[in-house]
Amino acid sequence: MKLNVLLWVVALLALLLPRSADCRPSIAPTAHHLLPQPLLLRLGEEFSLRLGGAGLSSSSSSSSSSSAVNRALLQLTQRLLQAQAEQQQQQEEEEGEGEGEEKGKRSEEPPISLDLTFHLLREVLEMARAEQIAQQADSNRRMMDTFGK
Amino acid sequence: MRVMERSFREQLFFLVLCLSVLKGDSRYIENNEISKDELYSFFNSELKREIPEELMYRRPLRCLDMVAVEGQFTFTAEHPQLSCAAFFMAEPTEVISVEFDNVDIDCQGGDFITVFDGWVMKGEKFPSSQDHPLPVYERYVDYCDSGSLRRSVRSSQNVAMVFFRIHNAGSTFTLTVRKHINPFPCNVISQSPEGSYTMVIPQQHRNCSFSIIYPVEIDISEFSLGHYNNFPKRSMPGCAESGDFVQLLGGNGIDTSKLLPITDLCISFTGPTHMKIGCDNTVVRMVSSGKFVNRVSFSYRLLDSQELQTIKLNNVEDFCFNN
Repeated sequence: MKLNVLLWVVALLALLLPRSADCRPSIAPTAHHLLPQPLLLRLGEEFSLRLGGAGLSSSSSSSSSSSAVNRALLQLTQRLLQAQAEQQQQQEEEEGEGEGEEKGKRSEEPPISLDLTFHLLREVLEMARAEQIAQQADSNRRMMDTFGK
Repeated sequence: MRVMERSFREQLFFLVLCLSVLKGDSRYIENNEISKDELYSFFNSELKREIPEELMYRRPLRCLDMVAVEGQFTFTAEHPQLSCAAFFMAEPTEVISVEFDNVDIDCQGGDFITVFDGWVMKGEKFPSSQDHPLPVYERYVDYCDSGSLRRSVRSSQNVAMVFFRIHNAGSTFTLTVRKHINPFPCNVISQSPEGSYTMVIPQQHRNCSFSIIYPVEIDISEFSLGHYNNFPKRSMPGCAESGDFVQLLGGNGIDTSKLLPITDLCISFTGPTHMKIGCDNTVVRMVSSGKFVNRVSFSYRLLDSQELQTIKLNNVEDFCFNN
């Protein structure tokens, strides 16, 4: 009797416990390949284009000056990205040799990062604040319309 | 006979009472839609304040974006987008939750959506590892790794961000961003270059930073370090020996552990409290031992180009030209 109960318990456990090999996500090798490398972005190019042509009222008035700024930002960001890429290649070559020693140090490095200047960060921040103010004004208008009914 | 009538009346009244209750003629608790109608809703101190569906703010999410409002943001790839990021920002006394909705991406094909608890720029993160309770890799939550388990991610401070990569045109996902009150904010990035703030650490052994990503003039109006209440403020060398002190840091990155100290305040401070700091990032950081309730109040305003130029000319050192 006890043996039967034990056999049932073992069978249930075997069914219910996850098999670690099967549950490992198939994308894990890809993810491990992706994660240690910093993510280099073509933000300067994309962002500069969007800043000039996104139809924002704050930037439409000074299109000529903003396009010059955008070109400068684009060049600066591309240089930064190139320098980062070269640095990353050098790091990967070095890391291949001394990986064990530097593992503790690398664990603190963010696996995904963004190359963005403070100037660009402030630009997007100001856009977000403008959107927040506009959305708040719209929300206030809707509330006043509701109260007035 | 009278006893029988009495007992019959009692039984009849009891029957009528039961029928009334079952029929629902008794008072019922109105659902005022503030608290969730759940069994343990009384134990949940967070009131349900979900925005009605028709009032939810919606707009497309851009490849590079910053979001400072609640709402739903949908990204649809018109072409492969391999390098995208969106910053999220809230008020200093709020935290952000990001919820994955309607995700249609190819995880096995290399697509990913990763939420980070903080901001990352040029390999530097805010808050720094010293000031954040979680290790670095736990601050990244990848939808493809944990999407079915964690559909919502909440930040520890008023900033968060998401990285995403989409290989196939037509792939889409929606992020629902909500803000929640944080009664004891610790690490904060200021939304604006001007303002005032009071940082309080109530007997907690932690370090908190207030980061201003602009060159500013900062004025520390008041600070009390628990046992030094109401003492005149004076800065002394060697504040690091004290377990409770306030640091003023400056530099050109967002990682507070890599910024250079401008001054420390630990015992008391006499003299001008105004400082003009020409750095890209100015940080007021409080180190607290947990023994006292520490508080520092300060205000700040943006330096104009003239002031920046003056500061630069007046300083020989290359370090952020503080005055």
